[in-house]
Amino acid sequence: MRFGGIDVGSLTAQAVVVENGKIAGSKSIGVKPNPVDSAETVLGMLLSDLGLRHQDISYIVSTGYGREQVQSRGLAHANVSEISCHGVGAFWLLPGVRTIIDIGGQDAKVIRMDTAGELKDFVMNDKCAAGTGRFLEVMCRTLGITLDELGTLSLKARHPVGLSSRCSIFCETEVLHYLQRGADKADIAASVNRAMAERVAALARRVGVEPDVTMSGGVAKNGAVKSELERILGVRMVPCPVDPQIVGALGAAILARKMGGEK
Amino acid sequence: MEDPAELAGDILNTHLEEWRRGGGRIVGYTCVATPREIMDAAGILPYRIRALGKPERELADAHLSRFNCGFCRACLQLGLEGTYDFLDGLVENNGCDHLRGMFEDWVYAKRPGFFHYLRVPHIVSEVSLEFFAEELELFREALGRHFQVEITDASLKEAMERNNRTRESLRELFSLREGERPALTGRQALAVILLESSLPPAAFEEYLARFLEKSRGNEVKGYRARLLLAGSATDELELVGEIENVGGLVVCDALCYGTRAFWNLPRLAGDPIHALAEAYLKHLLCPRMFDDYHTRLDYILRAAERAKAEGAVLVYNKFCDLHGVENVRLRMDLEEAGIPVLVLEKEYGSGADLGRIRTRIQAFLERIGG
Repeated sequence: MRFGGIDVGSLTAQAVVVENGKIAGSKSIGVKPNPVDSAETVLGMLLSDLGLRHQDISYIVSTGYGREQVQSRGLAHANVSEISCHGVGAFWLLPGVRTIIDIGGQDAKVIRMDTAGELKDFVMNDKCAAGTGRFLEVMCRTLGITLDELGTLSLKARHPVGLSSRCSIFCETEVLHYLQRGADKADIAASVNRAMAERVAALARRVGVEPDVTMSGGVAKNGAVKSELERILGVRMVPCPVDPQIVGALGAAILARKMGGEK
Repeated sequence: MEDPAELAGDILNTHLEEWRRGGGRIVGYTCVATPREIMDAAGILPYRIRALGKPERELADAHLSRFNCGFCRACLQLGLEGTYDFLDGLVENNGCDHLRGMFEDWVYAKRPGFFHYLRVPHIVSEVSLEFFAEELELFREALGRHFQVEITDASLKEAMERNNRTRESLRELFSLREGERPALTGRQALAVILLESSLPPAAFEEYLARFLEKSRGNEVKGYRARLLLAGSATDELELVGEIENVGGLVVCDALCYGTRAFWNLPRLAGDPIHALAEAYLKHLLCPRMFDDYHTRLDYILRAAERAKAEGAVLVYNKFCDLHGVENVRLRMDLEEAGIPVLVLEKEYGSGADLGRIRTRIQAFLERIGG
């Protein structure tokens, strides 16, 4: 039997199909204005890659911001919050994981799982772009670099600058100020990543950080944020064995397997 | 009959308009420490100011800062734009500094006909009770002087008796919510409390009697878990509705605009001013009160136990210092008592943020197995 998970977030949408306890395939796209269109497209592309039809999937769970609409349009049988899905997906990949730091496009979450893989506690950021992927996007635009460059560039930093504010708008002003003073972009990039990590670390401390710890979501691909988080929290992150952006959709597919009746 | 949430959805309802047309006076207040009986005894309708989740702030933000509680800014906005022009006066008290700022700006900008500052002590002691009784006496005098009405002990006792009756009916209604088969939703319960403080007493008594009768045989079905909702000034029917839409039925509460307004108040009798001072100060369940945390914790634990709540949502508005600090300790103590907790910090009245609130509530229900 095959099971599917669809995760429509604020910036990207993912679909995952699992079969016989393995990931049969996954797909990730940038979102469209309508979450249902995003879900339809990403699932359609994945099914086409796998040579499958919608009815070949026994049970599908949707998650992410568009989860309810995706279900009500008949693309999924049930919907589960992205908090549970990221927790379940990470635990399925790494059964020793107890803390998952998920940083997506517009929010950041720290999820605690128990030894049975059940959601134990969680915390989500306030309604603010600071501490989310959007913060990094804004800073990259100001620095004139890509998101991929942000992590690698900051590895070359020699004298990171001080960024006093964690507010995206104020922080952008400070970055502009440093650029005008001729500061090295690498030094600014390192400070941006550090500011991001400090914000998320404060969130993590609210629910406590128990090893093993891993990261999911798009920002997990930024090595500098990851190593700053490791330094601040005093832990080593267990690397995510798959693309960290598909963890939510994977969790949804794992839950679909459970809800659809397969152990 | 009209659903309470429909009736409570407007600041100015038809009953109030009728009251005004008949020459009735209305005085606005916000803090739960204000003894409504004194206004009631003067024949004045005590109206508890609310914002009902309205998001506009542009006039208020010219007076208060963005670091003030959104509820206070939303109320001030309504005051400044004239929505509350039907009030004949305002009663301020030192419930919290955000509220004080709101009233002071409101009074400065609108110059209401009647304004009184009722000071409420932060501790309960023999001396503070005596002080509060004197404050209530001053309030009685000020009201009487301005509105040209004599507020006698006899009229106060009559008002106390009327409010005793109302509170008994409210307790009965709220007990129906807590039962094995909840008879009403949390949204309806919040609406009933909002009606209590916005309808003429006789109209509310009549409505409550009918709603109570209707609720007796009712049963709310189709929810995933029973929740306790506690926190600060929460008059947002939409928010409670969203929590319930996701599947968390609010079966009991410890909200400022909820049970905290009436549940613990004893039956009032005896010397009216002293009885009111004692009842309102000794049973003031608010983190503004010093050295009284365990009374508040105990109130929540008892409510959760009575209603068999499976989890607690501690809600508060951004920049609410009192509840923000209180919730840290409450969360730890409730979790230790075996009650899972979700602390829900939110921007007041932000409809656009409901999606994020839904996600957190849904995840919380998934966590507690609902």
